[in-house]
Amino acid sequence: MSAAGSSNPEYVVARVRARRGSLYGDEEYRKLTRMGPAEIARFMEESSYGAEINALGSRHGGVDLIEYALNRNLAEQFDAILDWSEGSLYDLIARYLRKFDAWNVKTVIRGVYTDADQSAVEVDLIRAGEFDDRRIRRLLEADSIDAVIEVLEDTIYGEPLREAYAEFEETDVLVPLENAVDRAFYERLLSGLGGDEPTRQYESFLVAEVDFRNATNALRLARSGADIDPAAYFIEGGDLFTRSSLARLAQNLDELVEYIGDSQYGDELGPALRELEEADSLIAFEHAIDAALLAYGDRLGTVHPVSVTPVISYILAKERETENIRAIARGKEAGLSPDEIESELVIT
Amino acid sequence: MFEATNELGNLVLSTGGTLTDPNAAAALAVGLAALGAGYAERGIGSAAVGAMAEDDDLFVNGLILTVLPETIVILALVVVFIVG
Repeated sequence: MSAAGSSNPEYVVARVRARRGSLYGDEEYRKLTRMGPAEIARFMEESSYGAEINALGSRHGGVDLIEYALNRNLAEQFDAILDWSEGSLYDLIARYLRKFDAWNVKTVIRGVYTDADQSAVEVDLIRAGEFDDRRIRRLLEADSIDAVIEVLEDTIYGEPLREAYAEFEETDVLVPLENAVDRAFYERLLSGLGGDEPTRQYESFLVAEVDFRNATNALRLARSGADIDPAAYFIEGGDLFTRSSLARLAQNLDELVEYIGDSQYGDELGPALRELEEADSLIAFEHAIDAALLAYGDRLGTVHPVSVTPVISYILAKERETENIRAIARGKEAGLSPDEIESELVIT
Repeated sequence: MFEATNELGNLVLSTGGTLTDPNAAAALAVGLAALGAGYAERGIGSAAVGAMAEDDDLFVNGLILTVLPETIVILALVVVFIVG
């Protein structure tokens, strides 16, 4: 509800654990990979996505229906979690869920930049963050990037965006604006975390996520060989890289792979790194990163049963589920075989 | 809260020494046990309500688990009978 008062992890954790039980397991995924889009939608209607599929069924169809139902369900579930939690628990959860605010801001900016239809932008938003409906409506109604920034003036994105706007006007590319949004989010994510043991565990999870994000960016840059300054994509707060070491390592793929292999994440990412060297495929590595994060999240959920960590663990698992279902639906649309789709899924 | 209890004890001791009376001490023991039970039920109760909100079938389990700490108070009542 708000960040005032004492926190109520017991209540939130009990509800979240009950919901976790209804997430799809191996068995469901195996069934889903053998269905067509319409059957997937029906399957979802009979499980926890019923309300969303019914609400959107008359306006959309096929894979779009699945995609929008997933987004809406995700938003509703996460909004509910924020609604339940109070005190410091709210603060800790909101930190992570603000990434959907960042996503929404970026989507709106892209929409304005490409002159996209308002309703087309609207369906792509995930209303799971802290922005209320009124702010989102005002964001959607903004007809220039300047107006978007004005709406965000009193949020954490206002100032960084204003600073990046000058650069945007000069170069007319969105990268400075999107970087400003990402950096504002990550800076806020790790600042001023409290000191008890569960919070430290949560913090080390967030640090790992920042590290992985930096590692993926660096690997992509190193592989593409593009002449982009890697330091511009650096995200503060991680353990693994500094701005200069990232810039140096992104020049040389072999060195970078070796560096990650020797780091504290070497055990989890080792097999994927070897695969990366042999098969030259980033996809396997990115899946390994997702799986490592998810396994980390699962572990988090059991160490401190009455704290913020089981909630975060559920949020991760839920996000993963929507991504998996989306991958199945899109894979089906593209005509991939069940085996190929299964290799795209991240299941722990 | 505990500071307040302390002060109360000091006050009572300095005015008449009533706390050294076995009956008063037993009463205090029951009261503190009830306080502990209440604190334990706070967490269990909110978790039980959360679980019930997701699944109505958990009502009976939730109710039983919520009132389990009450046994502490019943055990503390034994003290009253022993002393009295």
